[in-house]
Amino acid sequence: MTRRHGWKGLLLVAAALLSACGGGSNEEAATDSGLDNTQEVLDFYASRPDLFTFATPADLPADLVWETGMNEPEIGSAEATKGGTYYESIEDFPPTLRFTGPDSNFSSRSWISGFYRMPWVVPHPNTGKYIPGIAESWAVDQANKKVYIRINPTATWTDNEPITSDDALFAFFFYLSEYIQAPFSNNHYSNEYTNITKFDDHTFAITMTTAKPDMAEYALFLGPVPQHFYKELGTDYPERYQWRYEPHAGAYFIDDQNIDMGVRIVLERKQDWWAKDLKYWRYLFNPDRINLSVIRDASNRYEAFRRGDVDMMRVATAEMWYDNLPDSDPDVAGGYIHKSTFYNGGPRSNWGLWMNASRHLLDNQDVRLGIQYAANWQLVIDNYFRGDMERLRTQNDGYPDFTNPDVEPRPFDIALAEQHFAAAGFTQRGPDGILVNAAGERLAFTLSTHYDRFADVFTILKEEAIKAGLELRIEILDGAAGFRKAQEKQHDIYFVSFAPALSMYPDYWQYFHSDNAYDDAFLDDGSVNPDRKVKPQTNNLQIVADFELDQWITEYDDSEDKQRMIELSHLIQQRHHDYASFSPGFVETFYRTAYWRWVRWPEGFNFRFTSTPQEMFAHWIDTDMKEATQAARSAGTTFEPVIEIYDQYQGLQ
Amino acid sequence: MNLLRLNPQTLKKLRRFRDIKRGYYSFMILSVFLLLSLFGEVLINNRALIVSYEGSLHFPTYGAFHPGTDFGLDYPYETNYRELQQVFEDADDGNWVLMPLIPYSPFENDASSGIFRPEAPSAERQHYLGTDTTSRDILARLFFGTRIALIFAIGFMAAVYVIGVAVGCAMGYLGGMFDMISQRLIEIWSNIPFLYMVIIVFSVIPDAFSIFSRILILLSVMVLFSWTSMTYYMRTETYKEKSRDYVAAARVLGASNTRIVFRHILPNVLSTLVTFMPFTIVSAISAITALDFLGFGLPPPTPSLGELLKQGTQTLRTAPWIVMSAFGTLVVLLTLVTFVGEAIRESFDPKKFTLYK
Repeated sequence: MTRRHGWKGLLLVAAALLSACGGGSNEEAATDSGLDNTQEVLDFYASRPDLFTFATPADLPADLVWETGMNEPEIGSAEATKGGTYYESIEDFPPTLRFTGPDSNFSSRSWISGFYRMPWVVPHPNTGKYIPGIAESWAVDQANKKVYIRINPTATWTDNEPITSDDALFAFFFYLSEYIQAPFSNNHYSNEYTNITKFDDHTFAITMTTAKPDMAEYALFLGPVPQHFYKELGTDYPERYQWRYEPHAGAYFIDDQNIDMGVRIVLERKQDWWAKDLKYWRYLFNPDRINLSVIRDASNRYEAFRRGDVDMMRVATAEMWYDNLPDSDPDVAGGYIHKSTFYNGGPRSNWGLWMNASRHLLDNQDVRLGIQYAANWQLVIDNYFRGDMERLRTQNDGYPDFTNPDVEPRPFDIALAEQHFAAAGFTQRGPDGILVNAAGERLAFTLSTHYDRFADVFTILKEEAIKAGLELRIEILDGAAGFRKAQEKQHDIYFVSFAPALSMYPDYWQYFHSDNAYDDAFLDDGSVNPDRKVKPQTNNLQIVADFELDQWITEYDDSEDKQRMIELSHLIQQRHHDYASFSPGFVETFYRTAYWRWVRWPEGFNFRFTSTPQEMFAHWIDTDMKEATQAARSAGTTFEPVIEIYDQYQGLQ
Repeated sequence: MNLLRLNPQTLKKLRRFRDIKRGYYSFMILSVFLLLSLFGEVLINNRALIVSYEGSLHFPTYGAFHPGTDFGLDYPYETNYRELQQVFEDADDGNWVLMPLIPYSPFENDASSGIFRPEAPSAERQHYLGTDTTSRDILARLFFGTRIALIFAIGFMAAVYVIGVAVGCAMGYLGGMFDMISQRLIEIWSNIPFLYMVIIVFSVIPDAFSIFSRILILLSVMVLFSWTSMTYYMRTETYKEKSRDYVAAARVLGASNTRIVFRHILPNVLSTLVTFMPFTIVSAISAITALDFLGFGLPPPTPSLGELLKQGTQTLRTAPWIVMSAFGTLVVLLTLVTFVGEAIRESFDPKKFTLYK
């Protein structure tokens, strides 16, 4: 799941940036308009001979080592049976069925398309090694920054059209096109790739800009775009394709008649899916239908689950896990509802306090250090999360080798906090117990966030910070307004986490490089530019600007030597730790799920590199068991309770 | 009473109000509560009322905080007086602490098990209504939340009345073009959906303010979109009174416009105004509760009824005492105010005094 996810994440960001210009629905667009852009596409290929090359199979280098990835273990369970309907709830009805463009970053997007789309190659969810997706085999030429891909000749789109190299080329046309209104994709495709060469209908090669250690993933985790579907691609793309479901190579599709606007969407399994008998795919995607009902309110979702209207529920809070659905609950104790805790691996969301080091007072490192010692995360973890969460150590945990093992988060320590605040001039306590400096300024900052669900965490932090003489004013904004505030760098302290890119190594440039902090942060000699201005709309929310750090990040980004990158990564993390602009909060190293008895799982429940229980669709619906369970429940017959903890991957990154 | 020089008509109305027992007692209960709540820190607080330490007396309720070191403890932050009380009792060397009736502040987390979660009411731990999802005392939060809601509502009412009466009177009294234009403007203005506007405006308000100023901003925004309805009544009433003979008489005698409005017209339309007051308060309390419930009201961790209600709906199965406390308080509060309103309306009803034959 590595780069594939990271790439999705990036697309999400792109879509989010564009979401302001979303169009209304236009269901009539689905009629055949007679438009055909075939010639336009060919003209584009002809106008960019550097990017698009047409060769013959004879041009393929003879010494390529083709990999097929067929030696990894199978995924899922041989016991899995196909059939039944899987009932799931989504928070919002999708604003569009498009995968790209305005408004396409919505909460239920994974359920509509994300989970099912297949790239050329996927990482094995347990071993992380590459296994074939649409590709049948592939060859990596690291020296020439080239990846050769051979498409599985049986691969077809959900509308039964064959997948060919033309669709691989068309993906470049599509993602480079301005029609799709996705500047991030435009950038990504123009910056990361220099060429795509078609050898025959099923063989092509992609050339990357750099030979980074994970270069191959840049090509392998891409996928094709159905050229026949986008014949009408034009400036009206957002409206025209608003409610048309893009064919992909996966197992499920949405039929127009299965869309009940605002209420429900049903996905159907392709009975003759081309990959249904392939080694890695045959036990996955088992239910015949996936029924997605919109249930907006969390408590209603819970009630729907308890009624059995929904088969499964992610349990996010300790309160829900221990109090609302305790092990002693009649349905749990009676064995009708099962509970599973699964420890997963991979980089994780980095919840913490992002301090804006360009703000008055926060520009003082001692103030930031004081805040670090005044943040009682351990109390939050122990008493609010009931010890289930772990303390986050750095902003970039979970990258084997690349995460510096020597960096430890700072504990809650009033004496040290006071010591640092005193060094910044805050020596006296005011009448309310908050520190003041000689100029009469109070040591008070606004802690903003758009995470309403963590409101209790902030009140705990606030109460504890007062002990160290620090006031945190809590400001909970709604999603768009909150994140905009952080993006405009108007915050003092922001509580947020960035979904990690599941890649081999963390990206530092966007978070720590001064290019994303200020316009011209430093003069040529490395001294601070007195006229510099804070740069909005970047992910450097902490306004980290350190001349030496910049050099390391640049070297890290340019390096093609993994060992040197690891060294640099450790240096960067240590320097960021010393800069003290990020107070690492908590990290969830598992996910918890409650599900009805008829939802069956493979042995070991799930896979190491998953972040939700359903994303690989390894579960199946046992329809007979469903009837039996419902009958038993009305009759009062109970089963053995099933409350499992799967910790086989605990402690692994 | 003499100072106010109320006319006999009004006195008669007030007497009638006293005679309507339900309304009168409701009024008394509310007044006593409001009065009490103004000194709420003495009743419900985690700061001690009196600390006697090494011969000297301290009164920490109001005023500057006392770090633990003031009382021989080893920490620099605010003294935990409940612990101090225990420490003094254990040491038994003449020091003592007198805690308020309910020794909790509405902000502090006090979990018996160490885990922050709702705990059922317990007289022994002096959490008489239990604790909320982060183990804060519900009674304390309800008490201060109600106080804020009431003061907020009274402030809201006062502001709405000042603006509404001024504009309404001016429209009715001046009439003509001014009336016509103002009316149209008000019609447009009042068609802006109030709740949405509050939500929008409040979500973009910068945060660099203290909680108090943010409450003030919320109040002004709400007032801004709520004063219009009052103007309609005032306008009609003023129109009506303006054409009465006594106004004409006053004018003939050479009274100024100001004098006519304030001395003659306003006292005569007072009954209309007074009748609406309690209902304005009811709507203000409901609005602030609704906004808090939706998460657009008072900033956390300000105690509020709406926030408790929201917690309550999320913990219906596991902690019913939260929703019961919040809902109960809201029902009692709104019922009392409504009773007062009914009584006022009845006692100010002109039909009780005028007989047409």
